[in-house]
This record gives sequence, structure tokens and C-alpha cells, in this order.
Amino acid sequence: MRVKVKPLECTGCALCELACSFHWDEAFSLVSSSVLLYRAEEKKDYMGVIVKTEEDLFLGRPEGAVEMKLGEIQKQGAGGGASAKPILIRQACDLCESAGVEPQCVVICPHGALYLE
Amino acid sequence: MDAIYCGDTLIVDLPSGKTEEVGFGQEMLEENGPGLAAGLALYREHEDDDPLVIGSGLLTGTTAPSSSLGFVLGKSPLTGEPAVSPLSLFSGAEMKLSGFSMMVIKGDSPGPVYLWLHDGVADVLDAAGLWGRDTWVTTDAVRAEMGEHLVQVVSIGPAGESASKLASYSINYWGSGDTAALGARMGEKKLKAIALRGLGMLDAEEPPGFYDKGKELLAKAPAWNGLNKVGNGLGAGDIDAWLKPIVHRYRSCFACPAACNTFVKYNESPSVMESTGVEEPGMLVTGAASAAWLLSGGWKAEQACRAMEAMARAGIDLIRGARELAGSPLDDSGGIDNAVGGLSGEEEAGWPGVERFSEGLFGPWVPPLVAEDEWLLANQIGYVLGICPIYLLASGIETGGLFGLCSTAAGIELDSSTVAGMFS
Repeated sequence: MRVKVKPLECTGCALCELACSFHWDEAFSLVSSSVLLYRAEEKKDYMGVIVKTEEDLFLGRPEGAVEMKLGEIQKQGAGGGASAKPILIRQACDLCESAGVEPQCVVICPHGALYLE
Repeated sequence: MDAIYCGDTLIVDLPSGKTEEVGFGQEMLEENGPGLAAGLALYREHEDDDPLVIGSGLLTGTTAPSSSLGFVLGKSPLTGEPAVSPLSLFSGAEMKLSGFSMMVIKGDSPGPVYLWLHDGVADVLDAAGLWGRDTWVTTDAVRAEMGEHLVQVVSIGPAGESASKLASYSINYWGSGDTAALGARMGEKKLKAIALRGLGMLDAEEPPGFYDKGKELLAKAPAWNGLNKVGNGLGAGDIDAWLKPIVHRYRSCFACPAACNTFVKYNESPSVMESTGVEEPGMLVTGAASAAWLLSGGWKAEQACRAMEAMARAGIDLIRGARELAGSPLDDSGGIDNAVGGLSGEEEAGWPGVERFSEGLFGPWVPPLVAEDEWLLANQIGYVLGICPIYLLASGIETGGLFGLCSTAAGIELDSSTVAGMFS
């Protein structure tokens, strides 16, 4: 079971990032979440959602979602911008099990762009 | 400041290029109120220096529904009176997280500068190389300089630099809703841009209570795509159907369930989802009023969006520009730059077929979907709480739940009466 993304349902509101940051820190920020809105190519409207797990990244890219092993990511680089705390040093998604609740990014998304599978 | 704001008030003295920080605390919030109410207190305190005050609302940057809103407050060149314009998209949230709760920009700079706020650090930087550039070039240049694509860039183009009354600041590449010509005030100050990036952290006074209440509100908050709901009932026409052949995707502002913003592509197929070599495939339509003017004026969607792009690049108020262009639709794209370059700025902002409210502080960025007193209150609540007033009106969301969030956010008890009292 993992969090997956329907990228074309995403409207880029970043509520998933906020919910995830609250899960980890009990505060709101854009630097501490396991789920990250990719919004670095604004002029092209190229936008997606990245979810970090222990083993890989789920890349919810608009042209199609893929899973990518962390080693591949290290070679290619990823993470949505220089000051977006690099995705590889962020906490891995624990499906909010440590808080004993449903994955909050899935619960909070207004457009159903994140789901469990 | 701890609860739900992040950092002190930054004072920028443009004549000297120096900055200082002064406290922004619970006392400020309790004495004046949060958000725009605090901004107005700072404006009055520094009024002799003709300031621009930049800030955000109490709930901006949180999981409260549509908590995207920040503000720019200053003396409008159109009226000579204080007026407020929105910081939408991600700019309000990035301001909230920048490490400064509010910013007061005093006086005029002797030469072009831009401000860079990040992580509680403020820099006044030389903008001589940016002066004369449009907002797209400026945004790209600032982001390249910072090596960071997520920086929010509030900038002016040639219209603001020449202090044209048509001027409006743009947010990154897109139209902002600045109908008060505060972009012209930026130009008079030789302030080319304000760059914002927030890596701060917002703590609520009662974290679990705040988060759970916000989540409850979001679960009931209406979500939608497109601009029709914003212009609904104003005779604005079916904007969404008009744009549909060139729509790429719909975009939300920060934390908003509604994706009003509509990205259209006309330099490549709108169905292309990959990041291709086409660097500038189209435009984010951020406002229903400008689209409504051009639709009602008989413009084709593609040419209308190209005209909106040209206005956003030049730093022109899209609403007033579109109103003036509406009567002379262009059938092809050649001539759009000339038409935009020839705008006189004689039209007032507003909505087609709707009498303009006598707004005082607030402009017609927020549609007159309700009676004037309700519209005014929605603006006041929105700018104090940091909740988009367009969403408040178009969604019909209950404000009681939002006021309930304020007590768990910062121990502040608010209701409609107390908010209205902040503006009396």
C-alpha cells in the first residue's frame, strides 16, 4: 500500500504538502513534507506531485506517473527547486501510521488527486 | 511573534537602502487586529513616508480553506487614498513564510532596486539591469539570480516604471488583481520587484485543534474548476466554454479548493502534457473580469488571451485594459502589441453590465456577487483572515468556521462585527 497520484486531477493547491508537514512537525511549512508539489516550470504549467518513500519516489508527472528508485533520482536530480529542501533528505512517507490516522494528504486533497493503492 | 505569524515587521527605508526589524507581537494583533487591520495601523504610523505595506492574513499559509491571501497596501495614484490589492497564487503564502510578518517600504529609492525576502533575511538589491524589462523577463532574471524557480516575484513592467495610471504589479508572469495602480507606486519608488521565498514554519497556538477544525472545514468546502463560478450572475457570459478549446489545466491558488485560474496554451497544443522545448506555451488566466470584458466585446479566446499576456508582461491592469480593448476585437494576433501599447487608461475597472461599487479601500478584483455591504464585509474578512474574498463569495462558505479557527490559531476571538469594527 502506498500513496499514488492522479496528476491531471491535481490543481496545485499544496494542501497535501501542508497536511504532511503538519503530520511531521505539528506546524505548517513547505520544507518538511514527504509529498512535494513540483512547480518549478511555472511558465509551461508543468506541474506534478512527488511522494517520497523509503525505497523510491512516486513521480506524479502530467504525462504519466512513474516510480523511480532513489539511486536513479540521485543521478538525475529532482526536487522542485533549489530551496525546496531536497527531496532525498526529507522524511519518507509512513502513510501517517505513526499518528494512527489515514494518510492526511489523501484525506485533505479537495480534488481526489491522491489515493492509496 | 510566535502564534501563526513568523518573524517581525521589516522596515525598508528606500532612500538609504537600509532595513530594520521591529517587533510584531500579540499586542499588535490584539490592539489592531491581524492581517490588513495590522497593515492599516502600520500604514498610518508611517504615512508621512508614503509607504507600501506588504503583509498576510492571520490564516494565510495554513490548511484553512483558500488561505492564499496576502496584500499590498498603499496610496493609490488613482484616488490619492489608501487602497489594497491582493497577493494571490503562492505569493501571499510565501510572504507569510518569508520570516517577516509584515513589511513597510518607506520613501523612494534614488535608483532601481528590488527586495529579496527569504528565511528572515532581507536584501535591497540593485535592479538597474532589470529596469526597462517586462515582468516575464524580470521574473526569469530574479529566479535565475537566486538559482531558485519557486521564488515568487511581484514585479512591475514598463507601465509601472513610467507610473502610468494603467499600471498594475504582476505576480510572477500573471495578472494580479491590482486595480489601484499600486504598480505605479512601485515605479515611483523605483522598486522594480519584491521577491519572496518562505522556508519558515507557522505554529498554531493549539495545533491539533486548529488542524482538525481546518480539515473539517475543507471537507465541506466547495471545490470547482474554472472561472464561471466567479463571474456567475454578472452577465459575464460562459467564460469556461469560450476558453475550452485552448484550456490546458486548471490551477488553484495556495490552499484553495477552487481552481479558478485557467492555463491556456496557444503556442503549442493544449493537450501537450510533457515539458517540451516550447518555453512560453501560453498564459495563466487569473481573473474572470478581464476575460468577461473581452468575451463580451466579441474577442476570440486565443486573441483575448494573447492580449492578456501582453498586458501582464507590460504590467498593465488586465481589467481596465480589457475593458478598453473590448470594443475593438482583433481577429488575428498581429496588432495585439500595438493595441495594448496604445491603451489610454481612461476606463475604470469593473465588471461588464454591473454598476461599480464605491469601494474605498477595496477594488473590483472581487466580483459584486452580493449586495454592497456584504461585498465590503467579505473583503474585510478576507484580508484580515487571509482568505480569498472571491472564494468566500463564490463558495458561500460559512465564515463562522473560519472565525473559530482564529482562536485555535492565535487565541484571538473574532466575528464579523469585530472585523468590520477594525475598519471603522
